[in-house]
Amino acid sequence: MDIIVIAIIIVILFSLGSALVGMLRGGKKGSDKMFKSLRARISLSVFLFVLLMFASFMGWIEPNSVLPTQ
Amino acid sequence: MSNQDYYIPHGTYWPVIGSIGISTTFVGFANLMHDVSWGAPVMGLGLTILVFMLFGWFGTVVNESISGTYNKQVDRTFRWGMSWFIFSEVMFFAAFFGALFYARILSVPWLGGADNNMFTPELWEGFKATWPLINTPGAIGQGGTAFSTNFKLVDTWGLPAINTALLLSSGVTITYAHHALRKGHRNALIAWMIATIALGVLFLGFQITEYGHAYHDGLKLTSGIYGSTFYLLTGFHGFHVTVGAIMLTVILYRIQKGHFNSENHFAFEGVAWYWHFVDVVWLGLFVFVYWL
Repeated sequence: MDIIVIAIIIVILFSLGSALVGMLRGGKKGSDKMFKSLRARISLSVFLFVLLMFASFMGWIEPNSVLPTQ
Repeated sequence: MSNQDYYIPHGTYWPVIGSIGISTTFVGFANLMHDVSWGAPVMGLGLTILVFMLFGWFGTVVNESISGTYNKQVDRTFRWGMSWFIFSEVMFFAAFFGALFYARILSVPWLGGADNNMFTPELWEGFKATWPLINTPGAIGQGGTAFSTNFKLVDTWGLPAINTALLLSSGVTITYAHHALRKGHRNALIAWMIATIALGVLFLGFQITEYGHAYHDGLKLTSGIYGSTFYLLTGFHGFHVTVGAIMLTVILYRIQKGHFNSENHFAFEGVAWYWHFVDVVWLGLFVFVYWL
């Protein structure tokens, strides 16, 4: 499960990087590339969030965050 | 639009004012750290000068842009400038995420005797490598604090998840705003921009509440390497959300002034990318701090 989550994050980072390239290029082509990459980025992010919720519900993944108890 | 190859701006006094602002801020800050009474007001004065400079300088650039002084060459320099700024931001967060991964994957296990560090356990006898590590190993010598502290699981589906949902929603709304701008739908653009800013502000409100809970429960900046990295990462992220929300508000103001059209809106693109970046940083935090 961890590998799947990390793989999705890598694809999200790649989309964000692709949007940056589009912004740097500018013009109609660059602007299109930027918008499409950002749209892919947010879609994947929402998918990852829903996947985490589902995986937690199914017991495939456990949260890691803790607080000290006195 | 000018036909020149390169636009050379007129002489300007803003850089000097910026330097005075920064110098005044640091003189005030240094004296504040030494508990000098005039430190805080001088720092406040310096920050005021800085904000004045930002308004003035950016205002000049905006006026030059809408008066048609800039050509394609200048447009390229803005895009490169934004890209280098983004590069520095990526490196900034990479360093803090790097610190988190290094502590968790390498240095804490080494202190517990992992790999070939067979002598390490003798440094602090009884130390067991656990994550999250919320005590500094040396603390045992200073105050007799035990290495192991009892933990309770944070309800990950509480505030952190609500905050993730809020920030991701703001990522969706800014994408709709971007789409509306490209299609020339002005009213939809303004509505989506307001929604994005509102979600960002809501996120900050919840984040302050989350800090209150965590601090109350004993997770502090001094709570070992976990506490330090947790507050550094989330704190700087929160600062970036604040800056992003201010930038979005400026862009909303400029949209209402009619500064952009469906083809020419680089300022919007720069801020939109920045907001998506801040969103991804939070997603990384949510996954690596709270889940994996």
